[in-house]
Amino acid sequence: MATSRTVKVRVNGVDHEATVEARKTLVDFLREDLGLTGTNVGCEHGVCGACTILMNGETVRSCIMLAVQADGAELMTVEGLAQPGGELHPIQESFRDKHGLQCGFCTPGFLMTTYELLSKHPHADEEEIKEWLSGNLCRCTGYQDILESVKLAATRLRNP
Amino acid sequence: MAAAEPKLPEQLPVTQPRHVGKDSPRMEDPLMVTGKVEYGNDIRAPGMLHAAILRSPHAHALIKSIDASRAEKLPGVAAVLTGKEVKSWSRPVFGVPEGWTGYALAVEKTHWVGEPVAVIAATDRYIAEDALELIEVEYEPLETVADALKAVTGEGPYVLEGKQSNVAYDRKFSFGDVPGSFAAADVIVRERFRWHRSSGNPIETCVCIADWNPVTGMLTLRGSHRSPHLILPALVISLGVSSQQVRIIQSPLGGSFGVKTFARYVILISLMAKKLKGRAVKWTEDRIEHLIGSSTHAWDRHYECALALKQDGTVTGMKMELIDDLGAFSEWLAIGMLLKPLLCLGSCYRIPNVEYACKGLVTNKTPQGPLRAFGLPPHFWVLEQLLDVAAKKLGLERNEIRRRNFIKKEEFPYVSPSGNVYDSGDYEGSLKLLLEKSGYDRLLKEQEKARSEGRLVGLGVVSSIEPGLTGPPMLALAAPRIFSRTSSPEGILVRIDGFGKLIAELGFPPGGQSQHSFVRQILADYFGVELEDVQVITVDSLSMQPSTGPISSSMAIALTGAVLGAAARLADKLKRVAAVMLEARADDIELLDGQFRVRGVPGKTLAAAQVSQFMMARPDLLPEGIDGNPEATYVWNPPDRTIPDERGFGRYSVTAAGAQHLCMVEVDRATGQVKILKYVMVDDCGVRLNPSVVRGMLMGGMAHGVGAALLEEYVYDENGQMLTSSYMDYLLPTIMEVPAAEEHEMCTPSPIAPLGVKGVGEGALHTTPAAVLCAVNDALEPLGIRITEAPMSPLRVWKALQGASR
Amino acid sequence: MKPPRFDYYDPRTLQEALEILDAHQGDGKVLAGGQSLMPLLNMRLARPKVVVDINRIQALSYIRPMESGVAIGANARQRALQQENLIAERLPLLREAAYYIAHPQIRSRGTICGSLAHADPAAELPALAMALDAELVATGLRGARTIPSDSFFLSFFTTDLQPNEILTEVRFPAPPKDMAWSILEVSRRHGDFALVGIVAGLAVDQERQAVTDARLIYFGVGPTPIRVKQAERALIGQRPAEAAWDAAARVAGQGIDPSNDIHATEEYRRAVAATLTKRALRAALGKLKDLNASTGSA
Repeated sequence: MATSRTVKVRVNGVDHEATVEARKTLVDFLREDLGLTGTNVGCEHGVCGACTILMNGETVRSCIMLAVQADGAELMTVEGLAQPGGELHPIQESFRDKHGLQCGFCTPGFLMTTYELLSKHPHADEEEIKEWLSGNLCRCTGYQDILESVKLAATRLRNP
Repeated sequence: MAAAEPKLPEQLPVTQPRHVGKDSPRMEDPLMVTGKVEYGNDIRAPGMLHAAILRSPHAHALIKSIDASRAEKLPGVAAVLTGKEVKSWSRPVFGVPEGWTGYALAVEKTHWVGEPVAVIAATDRYIAEDALELIEVEYEPLETVADALKAVTGEGPYVLEGKQSNVAYDRKFSFGDVPGSFAAADVIVRERFRWHRSSGNPIETCVCIADWNPVTGMLTLRGSHRSPHLILPALVISLGVSSQQVRIIQSPLGGSFGVKTFARYVILISLMAKKLKGRAVKWTEDRIEHLIGSSTHAWDRHYECALALKQDGTVTGMKMELIDDLGAFSEWLAIGMLLKPLLCLGSCYRIPNVEYACKGLVTNKTPQGPLRAFGLPPHFWVLEQLLDVAAKKLGLERNEIRRRNFIKKEEFPYVSPSGNVYDSGDYEGSLKLLLEKSGYDRLLKEQEKARSEGRLVGLGVVSSIEPGLTGPPMLALAAPRIFSRTSSPEGILVRIDGFGKLIAELGFPPGGQSQHSFVRQILADYFGVELEDVQVITVDSLSMQPSTGPISSSMAIALTGAVLGAAARLADKLKRVAAVMLEARADDIELLDGQFRVRGVPGKTLAAAQVSQFMMARPDLLPEGIDGNPEATYVWNPPDRTIPDERGFGRYSVTAAGAQHLCMVEVDRATGQVKILKYVMVDDCGVRLNPSVVRGMLMGGMAHGVGAALLEEYVYDENGQMLTSSYMDYLLPTIMEVPAAEEHEMCTPSPIAPLGVKGVGEGALHTTPAAVLCAVNDALEPLGIRITEAPMSPLRVWKALQGASR
Repeated sequence: MKPPRFDYYDPRTLQEALEILDAHQGDGKVLAGGQSLMPLLNMRLARPKVVVDINRIQALSYIRPMESGVAIGANARQRALQQENLIAERLPLLREAAYYIAHPQIRSRGTICGSLAHADPAAELPALAMALDAELVATGLRGARTIPSDSFFLSFFTTDLQPNEILTEVRFPAPPKDMAWSILEVSRRHGDFALVGIVAGLAVDQERQAVTDARLIYFGVGPTPIRVKQAERALIGQRPAEAAWDAAARVAGQGIDPSNDIHATEEYRRAVAATLTKRALRAALGKLKDLNASTGSA
């Protein structure tokens, strides 16, 4: 029993250890305790998808998980997409090339969803892409350019 | 000072632009796709505290007592702010018309569910929220004013203390001979309409970090603020601060759509900072607060509207009566959304006689606040729906009635009945393009076939205009003392550094509209450098030039004007230096394609970098009147606007972009669900500085319009309780609900605006609701029913279907 | 929007978890996928003193064959419905239905048992459990008891589960081989909870061209998923065609108990339930024909 805990996580390949209150959400932990502010908070009730990250290779909403639940897990956030030297991941490049973002706030969530989708379904068709992206809200783009970005990313990842 | 169409190289000193008009990559993107952009909520200041707000559970109640003693004792709590202090330290929140608002915090009574009642500052947000639960408030509920149509009767109860009315604004405008046009009409169509409130809902909520230094008296504000020129006066009025003592540092915005001025909360958090005497405090609005508490709702409207027509379909007169439920306060500039239709009462159509009566009511609901497209979408819907009704009545094809009333290409500049000027357009040409591109004739056949199979398939083909760069003149109608101004200044500073690189300083941050990228494109072309050679930054409110920011479809116009103005001034300076270097007269130096040279003399040329380096290195050789500072500022203002006269006649805006949309829907007869089968738009916003950015704006506006037409609605019960306080019930469209739209470009350059651009940022939201809603009614037409309430949710459509005669 | 304080336990064994729950006499809440509980905690609408996180109980993470059906442990995620071959082979209806359950990012965490224990009457899984005669295993310190799905769901968000019990397993028997299934729902957006939903099963005697068995379970139209047996009976023996569907649809409206909310009224839900009855039976018949085409011709 405890109201706080020590949490060990590997985020984007780097090990972290911190003591957190049990009630702290995973996204607050990432942002406040680890300083990884690339993951954004949009609704805190699991609808908008802005806080989507990867946990052990699967996309999850980090606003409706507790940090303590991630103890021992391997996490990936938007900060882990680009090469350490700064070279953008093909998904990031594709969003840029196809104007898949405007204000950029929902973008990390879309990128992480796309990452899992294309890792597991490199040949995803339009309907599958839409199904996956339906859990992420964007208010700027009207989604068309995001869809085009994901299609371009799929092509690029298949033909590196 | 109307200029001709854009000319090269007069306006932009290039023979062929390399960046302007191209799908130039955005400079905002690299930080955004890597998670490195610093939004307001990412900011951490040393020792920063976190605020949480206690909100009223009652729509209308007296506050009998507040006891915060238990909250104050909770470990981690630094301060509790209540109405007593707010009343003694501040004046009511700014609003138009004056006198129809309250304090930033409820003092004697609460006016809507979600109104702030107390603020806590604590070491983290979790503790702050714990402390909220320890505040004890004793309320005495009062009778609620939840219905604008009841509130308008003049009988009580009254929402605001000291008022014997709930009518905050009541004004009738009349242009031409409206009674005459109706008396002489062959046909009159009239209808009542209801548009329910919805909002912008950027995915980033509002964030304010306030730090009020007791030693210097300086109030520093960081966060997701937009438009310091609007926030600053609100702070000066409400807090009594001295303007030079306020510094607003704007972070990139995770969307705004109008809502990121949030003056009430900036005041409130500033007051908390005052109480904290030098400790910074951050308030990050959560989503529920955003949905219930902020001044983000817009357009809660009841319309009664009539058109007078001749047998041939000519619209001769229009009467529109609007009652808008403003919520508890006529706060901020919300009233402007009732007035904006004055800019374009007849939309794309030549309607000579128009009467427009608008009333703004206060009720016990969340106060309205600015929203993208500022009140026009319902206006255009009502007009377009009535045109469809009239066409049916007259036996005219829907496009024919529109063609007969369109302002013709050769009639520009067109002076509307209210005096506003449309700079240019080709509505008939745009419609023609839309019908061709969408395969309209084929769609009609498809519809006919579907109908023969008993399916409810409908088409909407509608038009609208988007006034570019509006602002103070229309607000002068409600607050002449403050808004009798024609200006909307946009200023910029451009500098070349010692390495020949360009730096531009803007008064506003990235917010989705690609503003920094536009500046970079224009400057790179102007001085003949690569995009990478240009840096664009946002400066704070104490450093910036006068700036209005990206509001009201103004950015492309005003910012282009500002950049070109500053670039020209800088180029003039450099020309005088180049003259020394090239041993020529300054008047003979020209800049073309990035090279300074002696006009008409082939031979030696100088790049801007060479000239600026010389300028800084050799002050001893500079001509008189030139200092060693290669920078220039320019403040652009809209030309030709006027302050409206007492009738409401005035020139309010600068450009008029035009749009024509086609929507095809199918209504499920059994469930009332609406499926969009096809969506095509043609937009004429003049010259496109970056086509992919314009396309993105239009697609986003279209999606927002689909939400407003079919999904998004704030619902209240009869006690003023809001029933849509989470994203489970307030429904934003997802990729599944937004159609794969086609977008086609029409280009009628603005003869007034720099480079021929027109404002387009509010975009397709003007047009999409009308297109979708008219399409639904077209689908229902064989059943003899029509829906006049938006959004057309499955339930509303189904209910209408139950009334169908078949 | 931050959770209130609570004591947090993440036991490694079921025994430990049950002891903790038992010790806290109704003040404890089981956290599995958290996709419903966490929003409630963030909004402070749920205020347990104790949260018992069962995610680390490895022994509850399974989907395994059980007789001809499938047993699903408390920690099996909703995504498994789309990923596990066992589900695809034995319970293709569950695989099909997963599409309607929220979004991939929710299904990655959300558990099958968690959705059943949460008992949202507009959710898909409780209705599926009813349709397929699932049995739910509630385990407490004194042992496990097996509850048939039709007596598990008691009311809105209320089940037969006791505060000191954990829903450790759901058992889906293999549905009758000759039965075809469909699931349909009307929701405001893709992935939202249903305004009205239906799970329909149909078996037809091909020679006699008569319906031999039918299942009609409705969701979003009452405090629990509702099986409308009158409507099922109206189908038995009938020719599998529109007239029978119409008859079932008419009866269906009487068996459900819908209420009003901002998205739908009682009348709307009754009408749509009738429509979905017909559509779902048509869809099931279509599948039955496909089934016969692939197996019957052999």
